[in-house]
Amino acid sequence: MSEPQAPTEARQIAQEARNRVRFEEEALELADQVYRVARRLVATREEAEDLVQETYARAFRSWRSYTPGTNLRAWLLRILTNLNIDRGRRSQRAPGTTPLEEGDYYLANKVAAVQGEEALEQERVVERLSQDSVVEALSSLSHDFRDVVVLVDIGDFSYADAAQILDIPIGTVMSRLHRGRRQLKAKLAEEAA
Amino acid sequence: MSGHGDCEKCEQLLQGYLDRQLTDAEVREAERHLDGCAYCRRRYRFEETLRRYVRLSAEERLPPGLMERLAALRSLET
Repeated sequence: MSEPQAPTEARQIAQEARNRVRFEEEALELADQVYRVARRLVATREEAEDLVQETYARAFRSWRSYTPGTNLRAWLLRILTNLNIDRGRRSQRAPGTTPLEEGDYYLANKVAAVQGEEALEQERVVERLSQDSVVEALSSLSHDFRDVVVLVDIGDFSYADAAQILDIPIGTVMSRLHRGRRQLKAKLAEEAA
Repeated sequence: MSGHGDCEKCEQLLQGYLDRQLTDAEVREAERHLDGCAYCRRRYRFEETLRRYVRLSAEERLPPGLMERLAALRSLET
Protein backbone atom coordinates (compact mmCIF):
# COMPACT_ATOMS: atom_id res chain seq x y z
CA MET A 1 0.00 0.00 0.00
CA SER A 2 2.56 2.60 -0.99
CA GLU A 3 1.45 6.09 -1.80
CA PRO A 4 1.69 6.47 -5.54
CA GLN A 5 2.39 10.18 -5.15
CA ALA A 6 5.27 9.72 -2.72
CA PRO A 7 7.59 12.63 -3.25
CA THR A 8 11.03 11.82 -4.62
CA GLU A 9 12.63 13.03 -1.45
CA ALA A 10 10.74 10.51 0.65
CA ARG A 11 11.71 7.75 -1.70
CA GLN A 12 15.32 8.82 -1.50
CA ILE A 13 15.21 8.77 2.27
CA ALA A 14 13.71 5.28 2.24
CA GLN A 15 16.34 4.09 -0.22
CA GLU A 16 19.11 5.56 1.87
CA ALA A 17 17.77 3.86 4.97
CA ARG A 18 17.80 0.54 3.15
CA ASN A 19 21.35 1.11 1.94
CA ARG A 20 22.41 1.94 5.42
CA VAL A 21 20.85 -1.16 6.94
CA ARG A 22 22.47 -3.31 4.29
CA PHE A 23 25.84 -1.69 4.94
CA GLU A 24 25.49 -2.29 8.66
CA GLU A 25 24.51 -5.91 8.18
CA GLU A 26 27.40 -6.60 5.83
CA ALA A 27 29.83 -4.89 8.18
CA LEU A 28 28.60 -6.90 11.16
CA GLU A 29 29.00 -10.15 9.23
CA LEU A 30 32.71 -9.37 8.99
CA ALA A 31 33.10 -8.77 12.73
CA ASP A 32 34.89 -12.02 13.48
CA GLN A 33 37.44 -11.43 10.75
CA VAL A 34 37.97 -7.85 11.86
CA TYR A 35 38.36 -8.99 15.46
CA ARG A 36 40.90 -11.65 14.49
CA VAL A 37 43.16 -9.05 12.91
CA ALA A 38 42.65 -6.65 15.81
CA ARG A 39 43.49 -9.37 18.29
CA ARG A 40 46.98 -9.77 16.84
CA LEU A 41 47.62 -6.08 16.36
CA VAL A 42 47.24 -5.20 20.02
CA ALA A 43 48.44 -6.86 23.19
CA THR A 44 45.28 -7.79 25.07
CA ARG A 45 41.78 -9.01 24.37
CA GLU A 46 40.31 -5.93 26.03
CA GLU A 47 42.28 -3.62 23.76
CA ALA A 48 41.18 -5.62 20.73
CA GLU A 49 37.54 -5.35 21.78
CA ASP A 50 37.89 -1.59 22.29
CA LEU A 51 39.58 -1.18 18.95
CA VAL A 52 36.89 -3.16 17.13
CA GLN A 53 34.14 -1.16 18.82
CA GLU A 54 35.80 2.12 17.94
CA THR A 55 36.18 0.89 14.38
CA TYR A 56 32.51 0.00 14.05
CA ALA A 57 31.39 3.22 15.68
CA ARG A 58 33.39 5.16 13.12
CA ALA A 59 32.33 2.92 10.24
CA PHE A 60 28.65 3.31 11.05
CA ARG A 61 29.12 7.06 11.32
CA SER A 62 30.90 7.41 8.00
CA TRP A 63 29.13 4.68 6.06
CA ARG A 64 28.42 7.07 3.21
CA SER A 65 32.09 7.21 2.30
CA TYR A 66 32.11 3.47 1.56
CA THR A 67 31.59 2.68 -2.13
CA PRO A 68 29.21 -0.29 -2.47
CA GLY A 69 30.76 -3.18 -4.35
CA THR A 70 34.29 -2.46 -3.19
CA ASN A 71 36.15 -4.47 -0.56
CA LEU A 72 34.30 -3.76 2.68
CA ARG A 73 36.68 -5.83 4.78
CA ALA A 74 39.63 -3.77 3.54
CA TRP A 75 37.66 -0.59 4.16
CA LEU A 76 36.92 -1.59 7.76
CA LEU A 77 40.49 -2.66 8.40
CA ARG A 78 41.77 0.59 7.04
CA ILE A 79 39.74 2.37 9.72
CA LEU A 80 40.99 -0.09 12.30
CA THR A 81 44.68 0.21 11.45
CA ASN A 82 44.44 4.00 11.34
CA LEU A 83 42.84 4.06 14.77
CA ASN A 84 45.49 1.69 16.02
CA ILE A 85 48.30 3.77 14.58
CA ASP A 86 46.83 6.87 16.24
CA ARG A 87 46.70 5.04 19.54
CA GLY A 88 50.24 3.81 19.12
CA ARG A 89 51.47 7.32 18.44
CA ARG A 90 49.67 8.58 21.50
CA SER A 91 51.00 5.92 23.80
CA GLN A 92 54.05 3.81 23.26
CA ARG A 93 55.58 4.58 19.89
CA ALA A 94 59.34 4.31 20.21
CA PRO A 95 60.91 7.54 18.95
CA GLY A 96 63.95 5.79 17.50
CA THR A 97 62.18 3.48 15.06
CA THR A 98 62.46 4.54 11.47
CA PRO A 99 60.25 2.81 8.96
CA LEU A 100 62.01 0.61 6.45
CA GLU A 101 61.69 1.40 2.83
CA GLU A 102 62.06 -0.38 -0.45
CA GLY A 103 65.85 -0.43 -0.65
CA ASP A 104 66.04 -2.45 2.53
CA TYR A 105 64.47 -5.40 0.81
CA TYR A 106 67.54 -5.90 -1.33
CA LEU A 107 69.83 -5.45 1.64
CA ALA A 108 67.85 -7.89 3.73
CA ASN A 109 68.21 -10.47 1.01
CA LYS A 110 71.95 -9.99 0.84
CA VAL A 111 72.21 -10.55 4.56
CA ALA A 112 69.95 -13.59 4.42
CA ALA A 113 72.09 -15.14 1.72
CA VAL A 114 75.29 -14.60 3.66
CA GLN A 115 73.75 -16.13 6.75
CA GLY A 116 72.44 -19.18 4.91
CA GLU A 117 73.71 -21.85 7.30
CA GLU A 118 72.80 -19.84 10.34
CA ALA A 119 69.30 -19.36 8.98
CA LEU A 120 68.85 -23.10 8.56
CA GLU A 121 69.90 -23.71 12.15
CA GLN A 122 67.41 -21.07 13.29
CA GLU A 123 64.70 -22.84 11.35
CA ARG A 124 65.45 -26.19 12.96
CA VAL A 125 64.90 -24.58 16.33
CA VAL A 126 61.73 -22.76 15.34
CA GLU A 127 60.14 -25.92 13.97
CA ARG A 128 59.96 -27.33 17.47
CA LEU A 129 57.94 -24.41 18.79
CA SER A 130 54.26 -24.17 19.61
CA GLN A 131 51.65 -21.77 18.35
CA ASP A 132 51.65 -19.96 21.67
CA SER A 133 55.21 -18.89 21.10
CA VAL A 134 54.14 -17.42 17.78
CA VAL A 135 51.54 -15.25 19.50
CA GLU A 136 54.17 -13.93 21.85
CA ALA A 137 56.77 -13.36 19.17
CA LEU A 138 54.24 -11.59 16.99
CA SER A 139 53.34 -9.21 19.77
CA SER A 140 56.99 -8.34 20.21
CA LEU A 141 57.35 -6.99 16.67
CA SER A 142 57.33 -3.25 16.12
CA HIS A 143 54.03 -1.76 14.89
CA ASP A 144 55.19 -1.26 11.32
CA PHE A 145 56.24 -4.86 10.91
CA ARG A 146 53.36 -6.39 12.82
CA ASP A 147 50.76 -4.50 10.80
CA VAL A 148 51.87 -5.99 7.49
CA VAL A 149 52.48 -9.51 8.80
CA VAL A 150 49.04 -9.57 10.42
CA LEU A 151 47.25 -8.12 7.39
CA VAL A 152 48.87 -10.52 4.93
CA ASP A 153 49.12 -13.69 7.01
CA ILE A 154 46.00 -13.39 9.15
CA GLY A 155 43.86 -11.01 7.17
CA ASP A 156 44.85 -12.82 3.98
CA PHE A 157 45.13 -9.55 2.10
CA SER A 158 47.12 -9.10 -1.09
CA TYR A 159 50.16 -6.82 -1.01
CA ALA A 160 48.11 -4.26 -2.93
CA ASP A 161 45.27 -4.31 -0.39
CA ALA A 162 47.70 -4.13 2.51
CA ALA A 163 49.41 -1.17 0.84
CA GLN A 164 46.09 0.59 0.45
CA ILE A 165 44.96 -0.16 3.98
CA LEU A 166 48.21 1.14 5.48
CA ASP A 167 48.63 3.88 2.91
CA ILE A 168 52.19 2.88 2.01
CA PRO A 169 53.77 1.75 -1.29
CA ILE A 170 53.67 -1.95 -2.22
CA GLY A 171 57.46 -2.10 -2.11
CA THR A 172 57.30 -0.99 1.51
CA VAL A 173 54.75 -3.70 2.27
CA MET A 174 57.13 -6.27 0.82
CA SER A 175 60.18 -5.00 2.65
CA ARG A 176 58.34 -4.76 5.96
CA LEU A 177 56.92 -8.24 5.51
CA HIS A 178 60.33 -9.61 4.80
CA ARG A 179 61.95 -7.85 7.71
CA GLY A 180 59.02 -8.57 10.00
CA ARG A 181 59.16 -12.28 9.32
CA ARG A 182 62.88 -12.31 9.88
CA GLN A 183 62.40 -10.59 13.24
CA LEU A 184 59.69 -13.10 14.02
CA LYS A 185 62.01 -16.02 13.30
CA ALA A 186 64.83 -14.50 15.30
CA LYS A 187 62.46 -13.95 18.21
CA LEU A 188 61.19 -17.51 18.04
CA ALA A 189 64.69 -18.91 17.90
CA GLU A 190 65.60 -16.78 20.90
CA GLU A 191 62.59 -18.06 22.81
CA ALA A 192 63.44 -21.66 22.03
CA ALA A 193 67.06 -21.33 23.09
CA MET B 1 79.70 -17.64 -6.16
CA SER B 2 78.85 -21.32 -5.78
CA GLY B 3 75.44 -20.79 -7.41
CA HIS B 4 74.06 -18.57 -4.62
CA GLY B 5 72.97 -15.97 -7.14
CA ASP B 6 69.92 -18.03 -7.98
CA CYS B 7 69.00 -18.60 -4.35
CA GLU B 8 69.22 -14.90 -3.61
CA LYS B 9 66.78 -14.28 -6.38
CA CYS B 10 64.60 -17.11 -5.19
CA GLU B 11 64.50 -15.63 -1.71
CA GLN B 12 62.62 -12.73 -3.24
CA LEU B 13 60.45 -14.99 -5.34
CA LEU B 14 59.71 -17.27 -2.41
CA GLN B 15 57.98 -14.56 -0.43
CA GLY B 16 55.73 -13.68 -3.34
CA TYR B 17 55.18 -17.34 -4.11
CA LEU B 18 54.03 -18.17 -0.60
CA ASP B 19 51.84 -15.10 -0.46
CA ARG B 20 50.36 -15.95 -3.86
CA GLN B 21 51.42 -12.64 -5.36
CA LEU B 22 53.39 -13.78 -8.40
CA THR B 23 52.50 -13.70 -12.05
CA ASP B 24 52.15 -17.06 -13.82
CA ALA B 25 55.59 -16.67 -15.37
CA GLU B 26 57.15 -15.92 -12.00
CA VAL B 27 55.36 -18.89 -10.43
CA ARG B 28 56.88 -21.14 -13.09
CA GLU B 29 60.28 -19.63 -12.48
CA ALA B 30 59.99 -20.14 -8.72
CA GLU B 31 58.79 -23.72 -9.11
CA ARG B 32 61.56 -24.51 -11.53
CA HIS B 33 64.09 -23.25 -9.04
CA LEU B 34 62.45 -25.11 -6.15
CA ASP B 35 62.52 -28.33 -8.14
CA GLY B 36 66.23 -28.14 -8.53
CA CYS B 37 67.34 -26.65 -5.21
CA ALA B 38 67.11 -28.63 -1.97
CA TYR B 39 68.17 -25.62 0.08
CA CYS B 40 65.32 -23.46 -1.16
CA ARG B 41 62.84 -26.35 -0.87
CA ARG B 42 63.68 -26.69 2.77
CA ARG B 43 63.30 -22.96 3.27
CA TYR B 44 59.99 -23.07 1.46
CA ARG B 45 58.63 -25.76 3.77
CA PHE B 46 59.77 -23.84 6.77
CA GLU B 47 58.31 -20.55 5.62
CA GLU B 48 55.04 -22.29 4.90
CA THR B 49 54.95 -23.71 8.42
CA LEU B 50 55.66 -20.31 9.89
CA ARG B 51 52.79 -18.73 7.97
CA ARG B 52 50.48 -21.50 9.07
CA TYR B 53 51.45 -20.95 12.71
CA VAL B 54 50.84 -17.23 12.40
CA ARG B 55 47.44 -17.88 10.85
CA LEU B 56 46.48 -20.44 13.48
CA SER B 57 47.60 -18.13 16.26
CA ALA B 58 44.71 -15.88 15.39
CA GLU B 59 41.99 -18.52 15.36
CA GLU B 60 39.87 -17.04 18.05
CA ARG B 61 36.15 -16.57 18.31
CA LEU B 62 34.50 -13.26 18.99
CA PRO B 63 34.40 -12.65 22.74
CA PRO B 64 30.91 -13.11 24.19
CA GLY B 65 28.81 -9.98 24.03
CA LEU B 66 30.98 -8.15 21.51
CA MET B 67 28.64 -8.76 18.59
CA GLU B 68 25.74 -7.38 20.60
CA ARG B 69 27.75 -4.32 21.55
CA LEU B 70 28.69 -3.75 17.91
CA ALA B 71 25.11 -4.17 16.76
CA ALA B 72 24.02 -1.67 19.41
CA LEU B 73 26.34 0.95 17.91
CA ARG B 74 24.10 1.13 14.86
CA SER B 75 21.21 2.95 16.47
CA LEU B 76 23.54 5.22 18.46
CA GLU B 77 24.37 7.22 15.39
CA THR B 78 20.91 7.79 13.96
